Amino acid sequence: MMDAIATARVGLIAVFALLGLFFSFVSMVGVIRLPDVYSRAHTASQADTLGAGFGLAAVALTVGWEGAGFKSVLLLFFIFVTNPTAAHAIARAAFEEGIVPWTEGDDRR
Amino acid sequence: MADTGDDAGGDAASGGDATDDPSPKSVVVPVEPTPTLRSTVAHVVESAAEGDFSAIHFVEIASWRNGDPLSDDRAAEAKRVLERVVAWAEADLDDVDGDGGEGVTIFSELIGADEYLFGPSDYVEVLAAYAESVGADAVLLDPEYTPVGNTTLLQPLEFALSNTPLSVETAPVSRPSRGERLRSEATGIRFAAMFGLSLAFYFVLGDPFYWFDWVTGLATATIVSITLSRISLDADPAIPRTPMRVIRGAIYVPVLLYEIIKANLVVARVILDPRLPIEPTMNRVRVIVGSGLPLMTLANSITLTPGTLTVRARDSDLYVHSLVPWARDGLFDGSLERWTRFVYYGRSSARLPTPRERDDCAILQGEAATEELPIAATDGGQTGSESEVTDE
Repeated sequence: MMDAIATARVGLIAVFALLGLFFSFVSMVGVIRLPDVYSRAHTASQADTLGAGFGLAAVALTVGWEGAGFKSVLLLFFIFVTNPTAAHAIARAAFEEGIVPWTEGDDRR
Repeated sequence: MADTGDDAGGDAASGGDATDDPSPKSVVVPVEPTPTLRSTVAHVVESAAEGDFSAIHFVEIASWRNGDPLSDDRAAEAKRVLERVVAWAEADLDDVDGDGGEGVTIFSELIGADEYLFGPSDYVEVLAAYAESVGADAVLLDPEYTPVGNTTLLQPLEFALSNTPLSVETAPVSRPSRGERLRSEATGIRFAAMFGLSLAFYFVLGDPFYWFDWVTGLATATIVSITLSRISLDADPAIPRTPMRVIRGAIYVPVLLYEIIKANLVVARVILDPRLPIEPTMNRVRVIVGSGLPLMTLANSITLTPGTLTVRARDSDLYVHSLVPWARDGLFDGSLERWTRFVYYGRSSARLPTPRERDDCAILQGEAATEELPIAATDGGQTGSESEVTDE
């Protein structure tokens, strides 16, 4: 019984770590592929939300119900508060500079 | 309390019941879409909650006459402004819930549309007649209120009003600018709340059974609450409002997580599959949430959800960049707005039409654009984004 739980836990840790890797990878591809500063800010926030989210969930599962696990949850909370603030600051700075967002049919690509 | 607000909203929408309530302590507030309108509304609701007024009449004085070309459009626009003002006032009343916000009723009315108004004296006449009909004895002016075109009418209007029995006051608000609203009053409760919160956080990281952590923790919490209690909290925590907000916030977190995962999958697909096109556009949504913390919560939730990114907030207008039409539709359906209202004002306030139904949203770019992009330097931007793009 205990063995089954331990195996499930290791499996879940692996799944979470892989999901975290996957979303970080998507985010990286997005930053390279997307056309302008605004759309890149979208995908940069993906790495923080689900990339770091699943990564920290894997960490919390690994260390278990103790100080470090609790702290990783707190870490996630602060990432969720600061990440949109940073993305907004970048987008707002671009907007105030007068950078027109890229749309379909724009030849600036 | 929520009942009062809802009833007033209903009355205001029909616009007829204003004359039924000749309360001795009513105030008339002429409104117009100005930069200071939001803070003027907040100010008048605050004074009403402190017991200065029992009824607030928001009026828009028509600068046109019924039957003019386009008069229907202008009346509809004026009605929209009034509806928005009433929604703001109700949100603010909810905020002061328990501090005397109960007895306040809100009315709104469009007046003066059956005649042409020329100078300040005409406006004062209409205003005074309306005040008399509803039994109001005070007028509160928005400092930027200029009903006729771009002329600064306030001084003559105030002057002309002084010849009437009405008492006149100008709301002590200034144009929204950077840094305004950043600091609020320091109060004991706020200080204590900030102190408790930072101490609790310190002990989550440290060890509450070790004397040294107590010494450093108390010192840290003191410094934090001295420097930040006036910035982080803009209202006193209150029972039961604050714990209720925390509980409802805890309900919101899984909902937000679900939305984030859903949107992440959609955006991941668009990014990884070169056949799927992206259609980024800038959009404008006028949201009905209180300024400060509720607006920040909503804007941050929108940005956290991949596919939508809050670029600017001008009063209650959010400028949101969307990556794919799916994300834009979700934004215009306003589910995050309703959830934010649920967290801050409770379940009954969460029931409201979507931004699409309210006609409070617009696409600013592309083929479906209905409004112009309010960008600072359009041609300067071209070159700016050129350098941004060419590194592909």
